[in-house]
Amino acid sequence: MTTGTNFSDFAGERRRTSAVGTAPSVEVRGLTKHFGSVVAVDDLTFSVEPGMVTGFLGPNGAGKTTTLRMLLGLVSPTSGRALVNGVAYRDLPDPTRTVGAVLEASGFHPARTARNHLRTIAAVAGIDFTRVDEVLELVGLGADAGRTVGKFSLGMRQRLELARALLGDPEVLVLDEPANGLDPQGIAWIRGFLRWFASSGRVVLVSSHLLAEAAQTVDDVVILANGHLMGHGPLQQLLQGTTATVAVRVRTPDAQRLVSVLQATRPEAGRARLEGPDTVVAEGTTPEEIGPIMAENRIVVYEMTSTGESLEQLFFQMTEGGQMGGHPIGQPWGSVGAQGYASAPPPEEGSS
Amino acid sequence: MIRLLRAEALKFRTIWSTWAILIITMVLTGGLGVLVGFAPHRHDVEALLFPARGTSSWFDLVFSTMTVSVDLALVLGVICVTGEYRHKTVTPTLLCEPKRGRMVAAKLLSSAGGGVVVGVAGGLTGLVLGIGLVAGGFGDTGRMLTEYRHVFPGVLAACVLYGIYGLGLGALLKNQVVALVVGLGVIAVVEPIVEGVVPSVGRWLPGQAAEALESVAVSASRRGGGGIFSSTAHLITWWEGALVLLAYGVVLAVAGTFTTLRADVT
Repeated sequence: MTTGTNFSDFAGERRRTSAVGTAPSVEVRGLTKHFGSVVAVDDLTFSVEPGMVTGFLGPNGAGKTTTLRMLLGLVSPTSGRALVNGVAYRDLPDPTRTVGAVLEASGFHPARTARNHLRTIAAVAGIDFTRVDEVLELVGLGADAGRTVGKFSLGMRQRLELARALLGDPEVLVLDEPANGLDPQGIAWIRGFLRWFASSGRVVLVSSHLLAEAAQTVDDVVILANGHLMGHGPLQQLLQGTTATVAVRVRTPDAQRLVSVLQATRPEAGRARLEGPDTVVAEGTTPEEIGPIMAENRIVVYEMTSTGESLEQLFFQMTEGGQMGGHPIGQPWGSVGAQGYASAPPPEEGSS
Repeated sequence: MIRLLRAEALKFRTIWSTWAILIITMVLTGGLGVLVGFAPHRHDVEALLFPARGTSSWFDLVFSTMTVSVDLALVLGVICVTGEYRHKTVTPTLLCEPKRGRMVAAKLLSSAGGGVVVGVAGGLTGLVLGIGLVAGGFGDTGRMLTEYRHVFPGVLAACVLYGIYGLGLGALLKNQVVALVVGLGVIAVVEPIVEGVVPSVGRWLPGQAAEALESVAVSASRRGGGGIFSSTAHLITWWEGALVLLAYGVVLAVAGTFTTLRADVT
């Protein structure tokens, strides 16, 4: 798994269109799942656009895995539908060539070699066995193809799972926490791979709880908490929808004075607070806004950054709301629904 | 369906359990054959159980050990479906064949095929043993082959049907240990009890049904005395045995498809 892999070497020759000649799609409509009295997923509706990476985010127990498993026909919905290219997974004429799925609880027979594991899948789909070695090579398991999976590390199993998903050179990729067990190099590789995969007009839906990682990878987000949809749309647009998520961190020897200055000059623009003896966090502002203020007041700046936690804050805000009352807190989310395409068709211009 | 069957065959071939089952079949058939054939005995007293060496009845007794293949075919059928749940390979299996009825049908056919392989493994071992015994000076080839032909076809047929029966049990019970305990426990424990208390019911149970099938040629040609098949009067006919075994397997598999296998895979 080298980061310099030329992914297209491993792509199939097929054109990137589904059976009916349209772009691949994933759509969830009113999807609901009850496990006994527990509502795991509640009336979930969203669609995933081709050509970009869509992050499926939510805390543990939010219903992400259940949703993905319903999409893949492994779990039956209580009501509602999950469609791939307009049909239910089990009605797909050639599932292995249409959807590739990386799932957490997917298994391997410990006594079977990696190559044979993939061959059992390839045999069902009528895929040539040479493709098995090709995908093993792609994920960096070429040298381990003949080893039994029981001896594999977690990271190797995760890569084998990805190899299985790619076996049919699918047009839709669904991944449940693909970064689990991978080393930083592997995570960087996955990020590059997903970007490349999506850029060829295919669908990528990837669930994650690693928000910093997701922020670097995804274009769109679907945010879930307690089985409810909390937000859906382009990440940038969602972030702009909430002022509270924008913050600037400044490292300065005059930290105390900076706080006073900011509170005096911009009382309306949120709170500035000391985070450490020489660090100030100013929320609801931008470097462009407070930079001049600091220059004016002759405050020495060692370092100034827009915080990378914006998605994290967005996420906490949304998911905590979901956990508390079953409804998103604050105003922005209603407006996000209108601005983004949670409830409206995708904007033509693709502004993100 | 051809692709599914090829994949199932590949699954069997690529785990050691399958080979272990075949080796156990051969070792048990050969080992037990030698053991019962050469057990120390006084055949003037217990002629019925231990016939004189080299006689037709003696070959019949030796070849009866091929019937262990039947139980191992059951194990293979159980593993075919429960192994998928045990190792969670059911997820990738259902991802490439999301129609569960088709998956079960493929497994049912491949378990029957697995039964053939186990039956042939036991049968070949029996044949090699028979040839060895003749070469060792016990009986003649004609007599040996006659008895072999009496036993082997029934054993092979029972293996096929037990493979299907095992698959059905596995599909319904899902848990490998439970399915094996129930499958073998019914034959070894439940059946003898039922057989003792209500023979009219007991003879329709899987073990007795298999015995009816295994003893088909024997009971037709038996001219009295010796062998484990000496008393077949209480059994149902061979075709009844075959049908009832097939029914057990298919009914259980269908029940499993609509209950256990329909359930969510999480």
